[in-house]
Amino acid sequence: MSSATSLKLNLRPPTQSLKGRQRSASLVKVEEVGGRVEEVLDRSAYVNINANWVNAKGAWLIHVVLVVMGKIIIDTMPGMTQQLSWTLVNLLYLALSYLMFHWVTGIPFDNELHAGAYDDLTLWEQIDDGAQYTPSKKWLFTAPILLFLASTHYTNYNLWMFVINLTALIFLAIVPKLPQLHRQRVRFLAEDASGTATPVTPRSEKALDPSLINDTYFK
Amino acid sequence: MSSIPVPSIELTTRNAATGNTSLEPLLTWLTLMFAQLERTFSKVPGSAVIARYVRSSHQNDPGRTVLELILIAFAVRTLLQSRSRDKSEGKLIKFSEKEIDELVEEWTPEPLCAPLTEWEQRDLTSVPVIAGPNGPKPKILSTGKAAVNLASYNFAGLAGNEHIKERAIETLRKYGLGSCGPPGFYGTVDVHLELERDIADFLGTESAILYSQGFITISSVIPAFCKRGDVIVADRAVNFAIQKGIQISRSTVRWYDHNDLKSLEDVLVSVEKDRRKRGAPVTRRFIITEGIFERDGEIVDLPKLIELKHKYKYRLILDESISFGSVGRTGRGLTELYNVPASQVDMLIGSVANGLCSAGGFCTGSTIVTEHQRINGTSFVFSASMPPLLAVAGSEGISYLRNTPSALTTLQENVRAVRAVLEKTEGIAVVGHRASPIVHFHLKTPSSANGSAYGTATSPTTVMPPPTGPPFDCEAEEKILQDIVDDALANGVFITRAKRLRGQEMVETRPTVRIAVTAALTKKEIEKAAGVVKASVVKVLGKRKL
Repeated sequence: MSSATSLKLNLRPPTQSLKGRQRSASLVKVEEVGGRVEEVLDRSAYVNINANWVNAKGAWLIHVVLVVMGKIIIDTMPGMTQQLSWTLVNLLYLALSYLMFHWVTGIPFDNELHAGAYDDLTLWEQIDDGAQYTPSKKWLFTAPILLFLASTHYTNYNLWMFVINLTALIFLAIVPKLPQLHRQRVRFLAEDASGTATPVTPRSEKALDPSLINDTYFK
Repeated sequence: MSSIPVPSIELTTRNAATGNTSLEPLLTWLTLMFAQLERTFSKVPGSAVIARYVRSSHQNDPGRTVLELILIAFAVRTLLQSRSRDKSEGKLIKFSEKEIDELVEEWTPEPLCAPLTEWEQRDLTSVPVIAGPNGPKPKILSTGKAAVNLASYNFAGLAGNEHIKERAIETLRKYGLGSCGPPGFYGTVDVHLELERDIADFLGTESAILYSQGFITISSVIPAFCKRGDVIVADRAVNFAIQKGIQISRSTVRWYDHNDLKSLEDVLVSVEKDRRKRGAPVTRRFIITEGIFERDGEIVDLPKLIELKHKYKYRLILDESISFGSVGRTGRGLTELYNVPASQVDMLIGSVANGLCSAGGFCTGSTIVTEHQRINGTSFVFSASMPPLLAVAGSEGISYLRNTPSALTTLQENVRAVRAVLEKTEGIAVVGHRASPIVHFHLKTPSSANGSAYGTATSPTTVMPPPTGPPFDCEAEEKILQDIVDDALANGVFITRAKRLRGQEMVETRPTVRIAVTAALTKKEIEKAAGVVKASVVKVLGKRKL
């Protein structure tokens, strides 16, 4: 990225980025996390074993296996109709995969190696160092869609079940995986920006955006 | 056989009814095409299966089918996208071979080191060369005469001490120059451990750990204890080494106004409120400040600081690089000056290079604090240990300080004498505490209010201080101060500007001249030297006005 000997990460132009946040009037705010230079450097120091297991063949197959097993187990429950069973399988799969890939942040293993640089990133954002449309991501994108299509094919959903399944699919599986939402966080009722209550060190410092670093930065 | 409805018959009848003959050939052609497609499709093996599947999926609900088709189209589009890198991880421009060749042809190497600007050249040549050993009155090579040294840190007058020199030479004969190994591996010699014990004993703490360079000691101690997610509350005017240490640590940092303990308390309260509002778990919290600030010679109010630390449950990292060996009755530093037990400070950092005129730095505290740094202090683990003779010089310095408290009283007298002369000088403003052994002065601009003025309230998230009067012209003031320094040197007094890393420090500070008072000179000599400085100031400022 940059030669280690000449790295001069001065916290300069404080005027634009370190001033503290202006008072915001909006209810909903979309913020970028995890894009600062130090965090990018700390992430790229070592291989992230917490995220590259999704590239293994078994990790792809396990989705199918777990869904089939789940369906079988749910079907054994007495009084279970096809509609309910498929809905439950669908919703459980979406909920658990959302929890695993899009809710929990940070890394359980090797936390010392990365000095907390992954603390704000979900598993989805850690996969393949943030590259988009990689094979694993394509599979993880397609799997819930295939499950949904299979479920609508094999049952005759009434309108409400269909709507529930479709909205769950869209909001739990498709929207969080979109590349436009990569490392963005939607905050509701964002904290008011009095000087004392602003959150930790300024998050989206455009002045230190690594994509802007070129030779002139180091002069 | 075929289950797909054929609309052709209805179309032709309708057309016949309306009598529209122009579209008829087209529509007939279309119906024939559809029929053809149907026949080919039904010939394909498995078409019946597909047809049955589609019909059962469709379930007579066109809206649902449309939605599902959209979903399938979206999935297919996603699958067909090519892999892209993370936007923020840098853009790789792809050049063609020809472009690469052109760029290589055009490339001319830049010089390894850019040629110096005029100012840099002057700055470099203005550093005097000393012939012989450094001391309170070294011989300057360019003039050939001895000059009074008020630039080097020599607070208790230990530089050039004959007894220490003899002991150092003895140690040199015994150990050589040292093993140059990491202290944790094969670099630690018994004299290092002795110096650590001496320091801990001198200050009254449990133990100490020795670093081989005084400047970066604090930059190594801070990241050893502060990690990402911890909270640091630091003074706005901390020195460069502390700034770098805080940056390396990746901790959350909040700033409070320079040497203003009321502002510190406000920030501590706000941090706690913020944490409670976010519902975040309690992490380690640190207050980082200096004993005597290297930037301007202010002294922090240690008892109040300790009281705040206990009230809000913070750990205190105190950088006593300047104050160790120069304040207090026997030079024990700020803890002796304020009569506070040194064990109250969690991590006390001092400099053997500044206070004891030897080399290196140390950190004292409880045994846990020092033992932790033996593995986690990166500078301790990854640097060479200092030569044993310098460790012995440090130990001897400590015993000198113990036995000769008169050195410190001389130092304080000298400080008072220097300040008395300089404060009466027109055109400059002396900053700092009156007991500080380093005296900074800067140019006094006619209309500004020198000293801190509270303009707008500042946010602890930013390191910028509140505005204090009109902005100063850095380069012009540096030039004037350098003229003063050069003139003083020509008259036999060696002082220096405070050298700053412009463009690398977080806040640009006003250029100052730094006078390091020493106990090795008598009061008369100091007064005479201060008089020379005053005369230089008057001369240079007078010339400038013309």
